[in-house]
Amino acid sequence: MEKKKITIALAGNPNVGKTTLFNAITGARQHVGNWPGVTVEKKTGKRTYKDTEVEVVDLPGTYSLTAYSLDEVVARDYVVEEKPDVVVQIVDATNLERNLYLTTQLMELGSKVVIALNMWDLAESRGDKIDTRKMEDFLEIPVVKTVANRAEGIDALLEEVVREADKGEHHEHEVSYGDDIEKKIIELEKIVGKDSALSGKYPVRWLSVKLLDGDENILEKIEGSSVATQVNSVLSAIKKEDYEAAMAEKRYETINTVLPQVCVKCVKEVTFSDMIDRVVTNKYLGIPVFLAMMWAAFEVTFTVATPLMEFVDMFFGWLAGVVAQSITNPVLGSLLGDGIVAGVGAVMIFLPNILLLFLMISLLEDSGYMARAAFVMDKLMYKIGLNGRSFIPLLMGFGCNVPAIMATRTIEDEKDRLVTILVNPFISCGARLPVYLMLAGAFFGRQAGTVIFGIYILGIIVAILSAKLIRGTVVKGKPSPFIMELPPYRLPTLKASAIHMWEKGSIYLKKAGTIILAGVVFVWLLSAIPAPGVDAAFASEEILGTEDSLVGVLGHIIEPLVAPLGFDWKVAVALVFGFIAKEIVIGSMGVLYGTGEDEDALAEILTAGSMTPLTALGLMVFTLLYAPCIACVGVVKKETGSWKWTLFMVAYGTTLAWIAAFLIFRIGTAIGWGL
Amino acid sequence: MANTNKMIFAMVAGILYVVFGILKMLEGLGIETGLAESLLIPGDFFGGFCFVVIGSVFLYAVKELSAGVHMGVSYVYVGILMSLVFMAVYLLVMGADLLMFYAVKSEDYEGWRIIDSMRPGIYLGLLSLIGYFSWKDRFTTEMTNV
Ligand SMILES: Nc1nc2c(ncn2[C@@H]2O[C@H](COP(=O)(O)OP(=O)(O)OP(=O)(O)O)[C@@H](O)[C@H]2O)c(=O)[nH]1
Ligand SMILES: [Mg+2]
Repeated sequence: MEKKKITIALAGNPNVGKTTLFNAITGARQHVGNWPGVTVEKKTGKRTYKDTEVEVVDLPGTYSLTAYSLDEVVARDYVVEEKPDVVVQIVDATNLERNLYLTTQLMELGSKVVIALNMWDLAESRGDKIDTRKMEDFLEIPVVKTVANRAEGIDALLEEVVREADKGEHHEHEVSYGDDIEKKIIELEKIVGKDSALSGKYPVRWLSVKLLDGDENILEKIEGSSVATQVNSVLSAIKKEDYEAAMAEKRYETINTVLPQVCVKCVKEVTFSDMIDRVVTNKYLGIPVFLAMMWAAFEVTFTVATPLMEFVDMFFGWLAGVVAQSITNPVLGSLLGDGIVAGVGAVMIFLPNILLLFLMISLLEDSGYMARAAFVMDKLMYKIGLNGRSFIPLLMGFGCNVPAIMATRTIEDEKDRLVTILVNPFISCGARLPVYLMLAGAFFGRQAGTVIFGIYILGIIVAILSAKLIRGTVVKGKPSPFIMELPPYRLPTLKASAIHMWEKGSIYLKKAGTIILAGVVFVWLLSAIPAPGVDAAFASEEILGTEDSLVGVLGHIIEPLVAPLGFDWKVAVALVFGFIAKEIVIGSMGVLYGTGEDEDALAEILTAGSMTPLTALGLMVFTLLYAPCIACVGVVKKETGSWKWTLFMVAYGTTLAWIAAFLIFRIGTAIGWGL
Repeated sequence: MANTNKMIFAMVAGILYVVFGILKMLEGLGIETGLAESLLIPGDFFGGFCFVVIGSVFLYAVKELSAGVHMGVSYVYVGILMSLVFMAVYLLVMGADLLMFYAVKSEDYEGWRIIDSMRPGIYLGLLSLIGYFSWKDRFTTEMTNV
């Protein structure tokens, strides 16, 4: 059998035992000495391990990949330019913090790295307890304990190296530099990415980071490229020294978040932040804890809002009374009472829910917990073909999909970004909540909360499965590296979170006053115009919202489309107008069923009428999955820049919604539910 | 050893939360446990799941502490924090019920008494409150000095 050939480089800080390990692997006798700078040139040796021929390259020590001295340049150039199959970073187990700095840079370079945790004997005799499994989890790099001068751990190391070299792809973690710097990085990436000679050879993120770092060598590379002037104009606008320092600080910040998790003894002081991280990033408990926190946020949104909703309800009741008393013109009275108050009122009643939902999201974000949640989810996200970074935009979707889709701009990889955009509408936004609240409240009584939470979960599951499906078919490829952001925890202040809540909540209010208002007025108008051939006055009592109005005619035209789902023509009309904004599903049902402002009345009419718990459930699921609102479609078009993908998303969602509602209705009926 | 106390605490809290969580989940699925009345346990599947999670965090602490891992205290600390968060949630729910009764005077709330809004999340949370105030700062300092 033909032997496989791989090349590995031994990199690491000075005096960590690289040459000793080199000798142990290859059987060579290169000079070893207990001071830094013994090796100043690269040395090559060979070793056969199982059926793989391994060429081993010993490098001079270096603290970072931004080279300053000549021997550092040798090491840097080899790793960067020659691209060995695997880089073995020899890490001094007694000095993790400093050694991991180089690790963060190797991760950035996208090299396949295996860590040899050398001087393990010294660390152990000192009483350090290093959790290598945790280390692997945090860094996404295999870690092997070695004692080079006693040749311990060599086989295990080679085993890992060969396995890593065989891997088709690997998923790396990278340091996040915080919003401001990340913005600059993305700006530079866009420019550098245009030069295919550069971007074909080096990761664009790495190039951009190095440019901000002021790396001379990279600057030279850029000078000779087609994008030199553009890059220089970006760089000349900033103070590079500040960036360099800030970025080094961020790297250490990340290391210092990881370190206490990996080795308690290695840090001087354990903080509350470290303690919380230990639990919320736990392999088994991390995701359940996240789900529990989401449920707590949800419970507050759902139940605490109830009395507040009553107050809003009272206000609209009062308003309807005033309108009824003071307006004598019947058409105007109907427009205001049956149209605006009924429609907008049906939507406004849920304002407390929406505000509380946003408050909860803000609290979770401001505390720093969301960043951990993204970290915990990264593994899972990677499995479904997404990136941990996609998690925050998905989560934001619970508020509103429009800003959530815009937030995908932080995902640099175009394919990752596309998939995240396409599945985002399945994450149930705040606008859909009123629909669930009304229907579940009417049909599921005390189980309403459970049903609604279940709908949310369904949305998440559909998003996940769709992502996997899309990744496996139309958008093939592997997810890009995950940028770890682990800011310190802060006790969120109610004030800051309230401000965030208001920023988002006021959009809802504005929407109620504009697009939803227009939508319900339009529905009212359609329902006030008599159908052709019907002899009745405009907006007269007997035709309003009935089959004798124009809306009835339209409704009957589209009814066959949704009849197999158990929906009647009014629901069909509501769903069509829900495309303008999902709240309008409820708003137009308010108008069509002629309930006035009273949301309880709508529930009563529905339960007394043709709707059953089964069709209500079907309608909720349909509302969750079908074409997102017009604003969302617009932003998808804008962000993907493609009608093809936008239409794909709309068609895919609507088809899925139809199938799901159909199955619910048919299977439910077959097993005798909701009769 | 200071950790023995925490271990016993975590054991008790862990078992309580897991048991109550399972009861809640069963009730939520419509399975009568016969304990709902006396222990004020509402039928609530997902809420019950959350309790099981909190209980598991406490029990994980027992696992680590008994293996001599000092950082296991983290799980006691976070378990306490989580149970306090849930206590706050149920207190807010109780507050909402109060509003419904006194301010809204909703028909659904006729004959409502405060005990109707009493939930295991609240009375189990008291246990955590005791734990929190008796250890507070010592969580980190003791860890640092081992
Ligand atoms: N106790 C212990 N000592 C080690 C181990 N590995 C290497 N050493 C010692 O550490 C010292 C430095 O080893 P070298 O192999 O020269 O280190 P290097 O990384 O090649 O150093 P430079 O070439 O200067 O960058 C030597 O004295 C080795 O004997 C180990 O696992 N345990
Ligand atoms: Mg050497």
